[in-house]
Amino acid sequence: MDNRKLFVSSHAPYWHNGSSIASKSYNIMLAAIPAVLMGIYQYGAPALGVITFSISCAMIWELVMNLIMKRPISIGDGNAAVIGLMIGMLLPAATPWWVVLIGTFLAIVVGKQIFGGIGCNPLNPALVAIAMLFLSWKGIMDFNEALLNYELGFPMVYPLSTLKYFGVEAISEFSAGALLMGAQIGGIGSTFGLGLIIGGIYLILRGFIRWEIALSFLAGVFITALIFNAANPDVYAGPFFHLLTGYTLIGAFFLSTEDSSSPVNFIPMLIYGALAGFLTVLIRNIGAMVDGVVFAILMLNLANPLLDKIRPKALGKEMENA
Amino acid sequence: MDKKALQTLAYCMAAVFLLVGVVCYAAFAQKAPESPIRIMFKNTGGNVLFDHKTHLSEDGYGISCSDCHHDIEEEGDTPAACSECHTPDGEEAPKRVDVLHEQCKGCHDEGGSGPVECGQCHTM
Repeated sequence: MDNRKLFVSSHAPYWHNGSSIASKSYNIMLAAIPAVLMGIYQYGAPALGVITFSISCAMIWELVMNLIMKRPISIGDGNAAVIGLMIGMLLPAATPWWVVLIGTFLAIVVGKQIFGGIGCNPLNPALVAIAMLFLSWKGIMDFNEALLNYELGFPMVYPLSTLKYFGVEAISEFSAGALLMGAQIGGIGSTFGLGLIIGGIYLILRGFIRWEIALSFLAGVFITALIFNAANPDVYAGPFFHLLTGYTLIGAFFLSTEDSSSPVNFIPMLIYGALAGFLTVLIRNIGAMVDGVVFAILMLNLANPLLDKIRPKALGKEMENA
Repeated sequence: MDKKALQTLAYCMAAVFLLVGVVCYAAFAQKAPESPIRIMFKNTGGNVLFDHKTHLSEDGYGISCSDCHHDIEEEGDTPAACSECHTPDGEEAPKRVDVLHEQCKGCHDEGGSGPVECGQCHTM
């Protein structure tokens, strides 16, 4: 007879360890600060306006939906603020106020609340909004067009756009070091690679995001880009370029790791991250769009319920990584 | 922090951020500079991003305004829109696409530098 103890529990009273959704939300916002500050430093007051307006609008939409649906007020958990922050980080600094207003509506109402609120959304709400904005107003989400009036002392063209339309030769003006330090145009909080990496490591160490998803996403991007590059270096850019440009780093640490739209088991997490990374480079290299992170993660969000059925945890069985 | 305190914090945060956001949008509205930095020529053949500042600057290509804007008589004058002179009911105006191709490619050909192939300018 198997004598292993399946359930180990102690008697009440229990002591809450202090963790909460609110602490997670505010820690994610804390981790995003380096990248956001760099965006505000580069673009000034307009960037600050987009970020703050986005956070406040997202919270207001959440409050409005709480009141309309006669549900408990949930803006205290900070989740709406995080979604607003993510949208602000992905948008260019010159985004008009009404786009922010619509974007936050799409994220909070269409992406989250109509599914039942926090934990029930099948897709990352911020990405739902960005995808819909991108499909509706291409010019606003085209960084080359949106940031025409800025001159920041580095090549003012979107690196992925340059790669897509003018080939590998044209991207020689971007060095990996400069890209890492944020010398590229893009979303307000998605260009400062070093800041995003520091924020991501902080979240992983504190246990707020799963390293399995973030690292497998980066590995997926790296390996796929490496294979393409090895097959034809004259046409396809190297893996470091793909890692440091577009939404790759914010996607790895802040977007793909969103709780309710990502898997919880070890192997599914690795598959989810790796496939999202793979799809990202596939869209960039042979797809029609300039960046693939948004649609790659959304596609894998859809696959999430199926992925979590791969070797699910048996009831009562202890697992190291679940 | 209990639930009520978190809610109060969220209300304060939403109010402060809304205020900052509105002030930033209202007070620091982005104005296009008098002399454009870059211009996006939108067209069906693939948009063209034109670096106006580099073409104009002494550190760049250093060409004068009147090399492209034929209506400018003195440096510093603001160029008029094409349609101000080339009205629909006037004499047959040249097509915009021909003018821009002639100006860009013509100059690049003449100077022996700069892109002249379609895919070197147009995002196709």
